[in-house]
Amino acid sequence: MTEKKLLKSSLVNVTVSDIDLKPGPFCMSFNFNLEPLKASIEKFGVINPPYLLKSPDNHFMVVAGYQRLMAVKELGWHNIVCNTLPDAFSLFNALLFNLNDNLIHRQLNNIEKGMILQRLTRFTSTEDIVTNFMPILGIPSNKHQFELFLGLNELEERIKVSVAMERLPIKVAGLMRNIGKNDRLEINDLFTSLKWSFNQQWETIQWIKEIASREGRSIKDIIDSKDIQGVLQNNTMNKPQKVKAIIKRLKFMRFPSLSHAEKLFNKGISNLSLPLGVKIIPPSFFEGIDYRLEIVFRKGEDLKGKLDNLYNLPELERITDFWKGI
Amino acid sequence: MNQFEIRRVLIERGAENDSLSKRIIEKLHNIPIEIVESNDLALREDIEEMDKNSLRLIHYKGEFLKPCPGTRRYICCGYQILNVGINCPMECSYCFLQSYVNQPSLRLFTNLEDKLNVIGEFIDNHPDRIFRIGTGEFTDSLSLNYITGWTDFLLPFFSFRKNCILELKTKTSFIKEIINTRYRKRIIVAWSLNTSRIIANEEGKTASLKERIISAQECQKAGFIIAFHFDPLINYPGWENEYEEIIQLLEKYIDPASIIWISIGSFRYMPDLKWRILRRFPGTNIFNGEFVTGLDGKQRYFKPIRVKMYANLSERLKKWYDNLGIYLCMESDDVWEQSLGWSPKNSSTLSGYLDNRVRLLMPN
Repeated sequence: MTEKKLLKSSLVNVTVSDIDLKPGPFCMSFNFNLEPLKASIEKFGVINPPYLLKSPDNHFMVVAGYQRLMAVKELGWHNIVCNTLPDAFSLFNALLFNLNDNLIHRQLNNIEKGMILQRLTRFTSTEDIVTNFMPILGIPSNKHQFELFLGLNELEERIKVSVAMERLPIKVAGLMRNIGKNDRLEINDLFTSLKWSFNQQWETIQWIKEIASREGRSIKDIIDSKDIQGVLQNNTMNKPQKVKAIIKRLKFMRFPSLSHAEKLFNKGISNLSLPLGVKIIPPSFFEGIDYRLEIVFRKGEDLKGKLDNLYNLPELERITDFWKGI
Repeated sequence: MNQFEIRRVLIERGAENDSLSKRIIEKLHNIPIEIVESNDLALREDIEEMDKNSLRLIHYKGEFLKPCPGTRRYICCGYQILNVGINCPMECSYCFLQSYVNQPSLRLFTNLEDKLNVIGEFIDNHPDRIFRIGTGEFTDSLSLNYITGWTDFLLPFFSFRKNCILELKTKTSFIKEIINTRYRKRIIVAWSLNTSRIIANEEGKTASLKERIISAQECQKAGFIIAFHFDPLINYPGWENEYEEIIQLLEKYIDPASIIWISIGSFRYMPDLKWRILRRFPGTNIFNGEFVTGLDGKQRYFKPIRVKMYANLSERLKKWYDNLGIYLCMESDDVWEQSLGWSPKNSSTLSGYLDNRVRLLMPN
């Protein structure tokens, strides 16, 4: 029979000011709301005492219970009963202890997962983290995801909050890592001020980056342009309409020739006065050579009438040339 | 340009006794050598860095000679690939191998020389066909030649066959070994060309434009038929003037009469490749152009942009010399018509056109 390992800790009354409350080496809490916790502590006290470890300078490091300690500090407590772990308890074990405590009690946001991976790198190899820790955090077990999550730690607080609140997908945040600070904050504000889907954000961030790179401008400059600001400040549009309008304007900047060709084609078609219910669909991106004709009709007579009408349209022969004047 | 640094040689079990392995071990006697198991199951994510300082010697079990896969719904040239190895020591940001290769290291197939008889038999059994064969699709034909000695046995093998040519495509200036051989017949030496800006920014560890053209000149003077490949053309502000500079260099150093063909193709990529490229080359500008999804699912420049680039370049090349065997790589019939003024209409006619170039410039 295997012997159970018992954690030897002692309950001690600790002065709050003796506890280092900066996010330390075991902290994995980000963007939390202390109010419900404070209300509970005021009513019932601290049900589960936090765990501390003594640091070489005789202060206490928080191992588990960071949010509880922040709450009691805000409540103005001077003392709190805590579990102190033995001095021989290793730092790595302390991190694992807190990780397990968090995994059992709550859902971690993506910034917190990034914090955990970063803290693990102090104690173990990348391979160990990728193979053994990422799966328990619900992250696909590969090096690319590892770097993506680790990179979140380098982003500004404002962007981290957007990621933690799931207003900015992690993949989009990943693209921000190669952008300058001011530019990425500008993108963050654009994405969080309106309601964007993942695909819309994904496409938009790439387009803005590529437009900026091609035109030698900053991303901020593009977002601050009259075109985009005009939409953002338009009071007659709702948020989804603004997103669509911004995407349309960016598409025109990103694909000027294609957008121009589409415009010419649509103009040519609208000048044709096609019969009602008749549509001409060009090849995707004008890459192929096959155009499609769609006719909506209810009776054969109706179809015949529309075909007669089409047959007599003089401009029809030029239809494939409408966009070629670009 | 400098030779590439090889830090270790991994010999897969089964490749130890192949002739190429012995040759390489002899050449690299100061480099650590390890016998390893096959890593067929290596994970994709593990090879982000491609491990380009390691040679992995492999006893290849697949077919050595294969038709170029080309691409769906565009006109292709009917090229044959001699699969000498996969991956290359250079660092071109746009390289398709980054998403094509799913295993790390510079992988060299060590039983190539031992299998040449099979390839020879296949070629000899089709005397009416012309086999246009190249080694430069999955690697650079000359970048590792100073280690592998590929040309020591490939040149004599192909030089004596009347119904084939071997094209050695490169971005290097490593021509000493081939010039020192006595084989010229049925051998084409080809350079991939791009503007100095693209070479500096996107084609890491390759020879400069001038080095490539001077190497071509030296090969030409030594009696080789040569070719050039303007692929991938990259569209960026000022491209017209910078591609013009390449042609001015060609005019200065090259005799156009012994150029067998010049291919032109524009940058195209499978969507997945973009993310691999951006991870490995975050500063690249190659995605700034107007890309749309092509008929084969690859991203390509919007058609009028491609047409303009092809027309501009081919007209300028024709001004230099009117019989250069210019062709487009993986393009559609209408793009051919609009940019070159004619079209082969299909892959088999393009193949025939290039075969005729072989008959014309490399008569038996």
